[in-house]
Amino acid sequence: MKHPPYFLRFNKSADRFAMIEAIRHLSKLGCNFEDYTYHSLGGPFLEDFRLMYEYFPEMRFISIEADADTIKRQKFHKPCKKVVLTHTDMKSFINQYEPRDKKSIFWLDYTGLELSHFEEFKSLLEKIATGSMIKITVSADVRDYAKGNEQEKQKFADEFRAKFRKLLPNPVAPIPWKKDEFAYLVQHMLKIAAEQSLPAASSPVVFQPVSSFYYSDGTCMLTLTGIVWNRDDVKSIFTAYRHWEFVNTTWSMPCLIEIPVLTNKERLKLQPLLPCAHQKGQTLLTKLGYLVDNNNSNSSIALEQYALFHRYSPYFMQGFP
Amino acid sequence: MTTTEKIKYATISASPVKSFFVSMLTRDITLEDTILDLLDNCVDGIIRSKKSDRDKPYKGYRAEIDFNADLFTISDNCGGIPWKMHNYAFRMGKPTNTPVDAAGTVGVYGIGMKRAIFKIGKYCLITTQNGPDRYEIEIATPWFTDEKDWNLTPKYTRKPSTEDGTTIVIGALNDGIKEQFDKDRDKFTGELIDIISTNYAYIINKGFQVKINGQTVKPRDTKLIFDINPLGDKAPAIQPYIFKTKTDDGVEVFLAVGFTRPIPTQSEIESEQEQKRFSSEDAGWTIICNDRTVVFCDRTELTGWGDAGIPRFHTQFIAISGIVEFKSDDASKLPTTTTKRGINANLPIYAQIKNKMREGMRQFTDYTNKWKGKADEVKKQMQDGNLLSLNEIKEFSQKVDFNRTIRSFPAGEQYKPTLPMPKKIEPTKRRITFVKDLSEINRIAEYLDTPYSDPSEIGVKCFDIVLEEAKQE
Repeated sequence: MKHPPYFLRFNKSADRFAMIEAIRHLSKLGCNFEDYTYHSLGGPFLEDFRLMYEYFPEMRFISIEADADTIKRQKFHKPCKKVVLTHTDMKSFINQYEPRDKKSIFWLDYTGLELSHFEEFKSLLEKIATGSMIKITVSADVRDYAKGNEQEKQKFADEFRAKFRKLLPNPVAPIPWKKDEFAYLVQHMLKIAAEQSLPAASSPVVFQPVSSFYYSDGTCMLTLTGIVWNRDDVKSIFTAYRHWEFVNTTWSMPCLIEIPVLTNKERLKLQPLLPCAHQKGQTLLTKLGYLVDNNNSNSSIALEQYALFHRYSPYFMQGFP
Repeated sequence: MTTTEKIKYATISASPVKSFFVSMLTRDITLEDTILDLLDNCVDGIIRSKKSDRDKPYKGYRAEIDFNADLFTISDNCGGIPWKMHNYAFRMGKPTNTPVDAAGTVGVYGIGMKRAIFKIGKYCLITTQNGPDRYEIEIATPWFTDEKDWNLTPKYTRKPSTEDGTTIVIGALNDGIKEQFDKDRDKFTGELIDIISTNYAYIINKGFQVKINGQTVKPRDTKLIFDINPLGDKAPAIQPYIFKTKTDDGVEVFLAVGFTRPIPTQSEIESEQEQKRFSSEDAGWTIICNDRTVVFCDRTELTGWGDAGIPRFHTQFIAISGIVEFKSDDASKLPTTTTKRGINANLPIYAQIKNKMREGMRQFTDYTNKWKGKADEVKKQMQDGNLLSLNEIKEFSQKVDFNRTIRSFPAGEQYKPTLPMPKKIEPTKRRITFVKDLSEINRIAEYLDTPYSDPSEIGVKCFDIVLEEAKQE
């Protein structure tokens, strides 16, 4: 099976580091990492498992993969002995998953936007232990439809509403065509799915978000991370995450990750100025002394993104034969 | 009887206890349905006001619903509660001496508003204005449990509103309700908008405006394909089956059943079954009583599916939808349940109409079965049709020739379309179906450079390649 180079995707890499940070904050809630098992759809290169093992070697690791050939490739890329490769799809895995009280971290790392993704998220919420974390990534891409004529847009909107009616905050409202608004809508749908699984009137636990991002390495994706926690004690989560600059505990607009392409030389030049508190973009632009996008304003915005995510930005090394 | 026995067997009080109304009566109804009851009262208010025009009888009228962790509010400009109706509006149940209500209203039992208040909370303030009648009634929390106090004290409101209408504010929210209005607010708002957009589709289409927490609810009604320009009078065309009648006790019935979309392809059927895309949820029967949708997209025996020769609903029938409209000046003649959100299937009028629903439906299940596997041809047949709403079908049906139905009961008029039927010729084509491992299908898709294609397309492409090779032998 052909796979895109997930490990070379810039914004997704930053998102992975953001997840590491979100997990790191669990210790502030009194959680021990050795109690956790990390589950994910790691893909052929198991990049997230490599990172997770690096940062949380005390955890257990389970990779879920439906394709037999991909598993062969995963065996080759296993970052450590601890990663258990399971040959099944996410739906079947969740159906058989029996956590009892054992805590888990799940990354439901989907590439599309299907009703089945929400259903798997809901099924998992219904059985996962308190103190567990779920990160779900889904496509939030409307670009192709937004470019179409009114008839095509209408057709997409009708089909989208019919398909996701039970998850929409307003099942008869127009579909937003701007990428930030559409990402926000998808996040809203995840909120409703969580409320359906864990209703306030009957469930003592709640899915409390801690961060949400949207980014595009070709396709716009939304990724939401949250903790299943006692409803009466969510304030502890607010306290634990309050100093994290990317915290989103209020289901507010997801944060954009759009890191500009900078060379290592440029990054090293900017490094001494970071972190900077005010006018981040303009400060870095002045330091560079040239534009990195098509005008001053866009360059400043791009460098502001870099300032924001510089700690999460990966270094991809280039080699010449 | 001795004196001791007389004392022992003294008169028994059979008077109701408050908890029966406050706690028991509310168990059989959902929160959403109680809110619909409140909206029904708004619409009844409009009908009482008799200012409406024929096409858009509800135009200019609105109801606004807002809720949060502390309060539920419904506010309307629908005419208010006339003082002469106070006994009906505020007593538990409808007294026998209640003045006759306006024709077309749906309130029958005199319980909707009270039940809604009890369901939601334990404090209420009702403010209403109907012309010169201006008053407010406060129901304080102790009243809900005080067995002796059954009285409500209205107060005259000095300051008139610009429009006649009613505002109901409910506080001291009950356990379970508060959570739905606060923590699960998004989920509940979405569900409520969805329900109102279907249940009130016909009323909203006729001008009524409903807002939920500031969001306007748009109608989601069923539209049927109607080829209004067939090639000849009896030429085959995709049109709905229509039946209309007026019963001896004054219930008007209009029924239409047909296609909402082309019949599904085989892969659509499979994908619907495997991935539940909810296309099926738009199929089935919708029943409207005095403009309120009481049953939405039903696909069970209640509406004739899987009954008397009609197949059970299956994904292949997702294109079939029907609408039945019952209208009566006397709401008690309508076949609704007490909650007004269901059909009393035992009533003779409904059983009779169900026969016609099945008769109409049979044409479309037959068509679907006969054209199965020819989705492309069906698409062509349907592309000339217009999607018409119930009102548009009613309007257009005036131009078609109805036949009197003499033998069936109730007697009425019906329009049976002539649907296209496939020619009976010796088959020159055969279907090939087979099942292969998904990983193998994906491998071939990549080999053919058509990743993410429909498996049937990959199968066709493989067949075409081999056919070309065979031709060159």
